[in-house]
Amino acid sequence: MTQVAQERSIPASLRFVWLNAWFWTIAPLVTIVYVIGAAAWVVLYLAVTRDRRKTQRVIRRSISHYGEIILKCPWPLVQVKYVDYAPDEAPPFVFVSNHRSSSDGFLMACLPFECVQVLNIWPTRIPVLGLIAKLAGYLSPREMPFEDYLQAGSKLLAQGCSIIAFPEGTRSGSRALGQFHGSTFRVAMHNHVKIVPLAISGNENIPKRGSAWLNPGRVVVSKLPAVLPDRFAEMTPFKVKTMVREMIRQHLEKQAA
Amino acid sequence: MTDPELIQAVNEVFIDSFEIPPEKITPEAQIFGDLGLDSLDVVDLVAAIQKRFAVQVRDDERVRSIRTMQDLYNYLIMIRTEQKKA
Repeated sequence: MTQVAQERSIPASLRFVWLNAWFWTIAPLVTIVYVIGAAAWVVLYLAVTRDRRKTQRVIRRSISHYGEIILKCPWPLVQVKYVDYAPDEAPPFVFVSNHRSSSDGFLMACLPFECVQVLNIWPTRIPVLGLIAKLAGYLSPREMPFEDYLQAGSKLLAQGCSIIAFPEGTRSGSRALGQFHGSTFRVAMHNHVKIVPLAISGNENIPKRGSAWLNPGRVVVSKLPAVLPDRFAEMTPFKVKTMVREMIRQHLEKQAA
Repeated sequence: MTDPELIQAVNEVFIDSFEIPPEKITPEAQIFGDLGLDSLDVVDLVAAIQKRFAVQVRDDERVRSIRTMQDLYNYLIMIRTEQKKA
């Protein structure tokens, strides 16, 4: 039975109930099992290698695998498609994404690169997950002066690790695109690193802002061609963030049409 | 410098330093919300304004209450008046 046929034959309310009953049963179980397993693996790895850099890489890879598994949990009622418009580009990158939903962080598991995410304050305070994020070296620029953020970001990029930021700062909860904060753009410009716009569409209700309930739907994560350092060398940070915001806005508009 | 000249000069700072289209620069435009500046851009803005008007505003607490372009115009007109009195 095709997806369309399924949607026609099963009432929307039933699909909603089934999706949430299934997801909220399986996702917590997966999380508990995965966190315990991954924590044991990381402790063992650290004990053997005693190398902080390698251990952080293992933690980041584990987070990415966890994200991949979580994204599969609501399938087929929630489907995620990753489209790379420039697959030949080499990391490190500074990824810049629009931010519609709390699922955006999990969607970053689509990216096949070693990455750290730039977080708001509240995710770093979630028990266990906040600790794991800190162990992975995730950045929380609102909790540090810009100079420290620049230094931490530069160090990661020098190690070949990409950075993912949501420069709107908070979830829009709709299809609207908020204003961008420029701090991560300044990190990219300071280090002459490619800026890659990411456009996420379809997840504004998965889940809706202020709710934990998922709605069936299709999510598309588009990795757009990078903005190369040569292109922004002579530009102001304000101009760069405005240009990248416009690229994302135009792509989302084209997708919605 | 008359008030309209000062307003024009402030607008030119936004156009030259941030490449903001002139049609977006209206008295009621919110500097953060409508024009898209962030806290780091404001540091650049303060530097540009200090250079353009030869004033010291970095440590002035009144800067913190500026929200719109009209607030900024009023603030700079007030600074100019204070300078004349001094």
